[in-house]
Amino acid sequence: MTRLSRRHLLAALATAGCGSRELSPGEMSLWFTYGGRNRKVLLELVDRFHGAQSKVKVQPTFQGDYFEGLVKLRTGLFVGSTPTVTHVIGEVVPYLAEAGVLSPLSELEAEVKADIDPVLGQAGSFVGGDERPLYALPFNRSTPVAYYNKNAFQEAGLKPPTIWAEMREVARALTRRNGNRTERWGFECPIAWWFWIAMLGQAGGRVIEADGRVSLGGDAGVEALQHWQTMIHRDRSMKPPPGRDFNAWEATNSDFLAGRVAMIWTSTAFLSYLTDNASFELGVAPLPQQVRFSVPTGGTFFVMPAGVKGAEREAGLAFLRFMMSPASANHWATNTGYMPVSLTGRQRLEAQGFFDANPDFKVTLDQLAYAQAWPWAPELFRVQREAVQPRLEQAVLQQKDGAAMLAEARASLREAGIATGDAG
Amino acid sequence: MTRRASMLSTVLLVLAGALWVGPYLWMVSTSFKSMQEIVKAPAVPIPSSLDPSAYAAVFEAVPVGRFFVNTLVMAVAIALLQIALALPAGYALAKLRFTGRRAAFGLVLACLIIPPQVTFVPVFTMLGSAGLVNTMAALVLPFGVSAFGTFLVRQAMLSVPDSIIEAARLDGASETYIIYRVLGPIVQPTLAALFLFSFVYHYSDYFWPLMMTTDDRVRTLPLAVALLREQGTGARWNIIMAGNVILSLPIFALFVVAQRRILRAVTARALS
Amino acid sequence: MKPLRPSHPYLFVAPTVMVLGVFFIYPLLLAFYRSFFAWDLLTEPIYVGAAHYATLWSSGELIETLGRTLSYSLVVVAFASSLGLCFAVGLNREGTIYAFVRGAIFSAYIVSWVAVGLLWLWILDGDAGILAVALRKLGLPATAWLSDPDTALMALAGVTVWKITGYAMVIFLAGLQDVPRSLLEAAALDGAGPWARFRHVTWPLLRPTAAFVATTSLILSFQAFDIVRVMTQGGPVKATTIFVYAIYESVFMNLRVGRASALTVVFFVLLLGLTGLQLWAWRLGRRTGGETA
Repeated sequence: MTRLSRRHLLAALATAGCGSRELSPGEMSLWFTYGGRNRKVLLELVDRFHGAQSKVKVQPTFQGDYFEGLVKLRTGLFVGSTPTVTHVIGEVVPYLAEAGVLSPLSELEAEVKADIDPVLGQAGSFVGGDERPLYALPFNRSTPVAYYNKNAFQEAGLKPPTIWAEMREVARALTRRNGNRTERWGFECPIAWWFWIAMLGQAGGRVIEADGRVSLGGDAGVEALQHWQTMIHRDRSMKPPPGRDFNAWEATNSDFLAGRVAMIWTSTAFLSYLTDNASFELGVAPLPQQVRFSVPTGGTFFVMPAGVKGAEREAGLAFLRFMMSPASANHWATNTGYMPVSLTGRQRLEAQGFFDANPDFKVTLDQLAYAQAWPWAPELFRVQREAVQPRLEQAVLQQKDGAAMLAEARASLREAGIATGDAG
Repeated sequence: MTRRASMLSTVLLVLAGALWVGPYLWMVSTSFKSMQEIVKAPAVPIPSSLDPSAYAAVFEAVPVGRFFVNTLVMAVAIALLQIALALPAGYALAKLRFTGRRAAFGLVLACLIIPPQVTFVPVFTMLGSAGLVNTMAALVLPFGVSAFGTFLVRQAMLSVPDSIIEAARLDGASETYIIYRVLGPIVQPTLAALFLFSFVYHYSDYFWPLMMTTDDRVRTLPLAVALLREQGTGARWNIIMAGNVILSLPIFALFVVAQRRILRAVTARALS
Repeated sequence: MKPLRPSHPYLFVAPTVMVLGVFFIYPLLLAFYRSFFAWDLLTEPIYVGAAHYATLWSSGELIETLGRTLSYSLVVVAFASSLGLCFAVGLNREGTIYAFVRGAIFSAYIVSWVAVGLLWLWILDGDAGILAVALRKLGLPATAWLSDPDTALMALAGVTVWKITGYAMVIFLAGLQDVPRSLLEAAALDGAGPWARFRHVTWPLLRPTAAFVATTSLILSFQAFDIVRVMTQGGPVKATTIFVYAIYESVFMNLRVGRASALTVVFFVLLLGLTGLQLWAWRLGRRTGGETA
């Protein structure tokens, strides 16, 4: 009953012309949250779209980073002033969908089933994703990968690690100190939810159990935290990057490019950027395992806010179709490092020998074999932002007890009315 | 002045010079460096060659002209609106006896301490249902009253002799005429001060335009410069500093030209 | 004076009161109302009574946020005021260089927070920032002040002091001009040195100015937001999550409008109280102190 009235309200607002929806027929607005190089590629694609047809015109607006963009979307939803299309991180899709603020994209279901890689689309990215209406189309999809400085590794006669123990050895070997100051760190990684999830999986756990209770990986979650803590405080081979959210990711990239760190974990999304700017030979490797290989998927999905109707909706759908087409998906992927989401497109790339010539682009695709789906849990986002992320920082940077921190996180979730439980 | 005091002054001068002029010079210097230079030799004060590509990059990434105009329009509109509202209010608070005068005074005072983050959600809802989000009105209306300005005008009005008002009344002038056409010109220096102060203050508005604008139509320059820290590709300090220079230049220019007026505006409240 | 018509005064203050009422008072009252609900902006609000206030207290979040905000504020007020006073007294000399430096100090106050935040973000950068590089060249230790939970808040306070010292200085300069020369000369003739002259003649006359500077700096520092948003986003590990930023984060990042509303109410009451306290202390000081030479 509640959700229904919300949707009606939004629809009414939209048709009543409230909010700044002053779009002429054939126009649509796109809110995006990329900067730098990836932004250029996106705008290129928009230009291509305009070149390929003349009925639809896209007005793209930059809204900051993922989280700022999410803030903008939410406040926009709140007053009925939303874009036609925007993109959001996977973890927040169930929340928005269940709150009834996304438009189901039924018109595109057939095409998606036919050509989009199910592992990357809604169907495979969420447990039970294909049992629900289609809300999200994969746009920039990634996995975390390990980038390493080939020159530094060759110098030390090392190979990229395949298990956690090797990772510690390699990082220690590559750390160079000059008195009190560390000239080069062995390893760096943003202290972020995404990478913790990866390690949690590698240690054999799941963040949310099959019955929906939030276990935060139980022992595996603690092990993941301890791995970082050991490398930072005991081995002193891992540099914790400064800044919060995406500032930390930026800093990790800068440190790597400047030669201050020999190996980093970050998104495959930066592959093109790092390749272009590295003054050394760049190596890309899959993440190591502890008891198994495991990576989460990342990046964003295109969504259309509820209440978008008529000519605007048609325009939005046309744009989405274009972005999902093999040519566009390939252009996006090959110019950034994200994965090509169109199966036809991927076949074309194989046929052209793209992956043979650029094996680095294949690393993330190969890792898909170990990709873990997100639970379709509306509280997933809250778990990430409120319960876990701040405590990750605390545990790692302030050397607090990992088990205690995660127990605290679970307690805070219980306070918020979210059911928690033990792993297994 | 004694020699010791003189020496102390000189020491302070050097210290202040280094701490307050230094950073600006550094900002300008960085804006003319290339990214490679910044990475390799960050401490060199003067770039080996003046590289204006950072500025070009700013203009490419941001519609500087449009945002600058938006910022100007917004700041001027706010300043004018505040003057328009402060004149009658200052007049009533200064010259007219009425019950509730103290309460009105207190209300204005109390609102001084409420920052925009606190009022945001309800105001956003209101403006949203009126269809005003992402419009200039949303950026201007909430700041239509300046507590500071109201006090200033009140102060200035207090020193205007009652006889002028009485004479005007005898001449048959309406109160509105008196406020805007008689008293306005008399307190013109105060109004100019208020205008300058408000303009400079709201030129740098960040939070409100950040939340109230969804696209480039009415976005302001501080926002755009803050967004120059594009994510994931490493902070390009030369571009960010170039954006800073572009953002701050108009204010510096204004300061050089209208220094005394601005100073008077800031100090006026303290002496009231 | 008597108004021409009894309705006039009300008409004249009406626009001001209306704008304040709509954009300040109403939102504040609404925040009070909403603090008793749990709401995420997208779904229906749920009544929770005083649960938010209870959680804010029991989770320690209120105390921690308050602690951080107070330590930030006190440092800012103390240093900006004293530096402002120092510069007002010490740089109060004729000459273009003095005027130039005074102008430079004051200009930091009128330049935007975004510009100041970005500039100092660059200067304080732990790796390539000029400060770190210079310290290292001198063999001194240099940390990334903004990414160390122990130093981040004070680093922000330092930047804030840099920005608003000019304001304090200018106010003190104006206040200094009100000190009659004759008094100072008389004191000098009586054999009082510069420090004694300051203590017994200048300072008592400057006290109201100092109180004014302190009060306005306190309000300004309590409302700090832009600088946190631009420089540290509340981190690292919440070290710089001061009051207004906490409210912002609660509403927009964590979607807890009810909880943010509770924080808002507490914030308003606290700041009102603090301001009142300061004004009362000043009035007390005025009554008992303030003798002229």
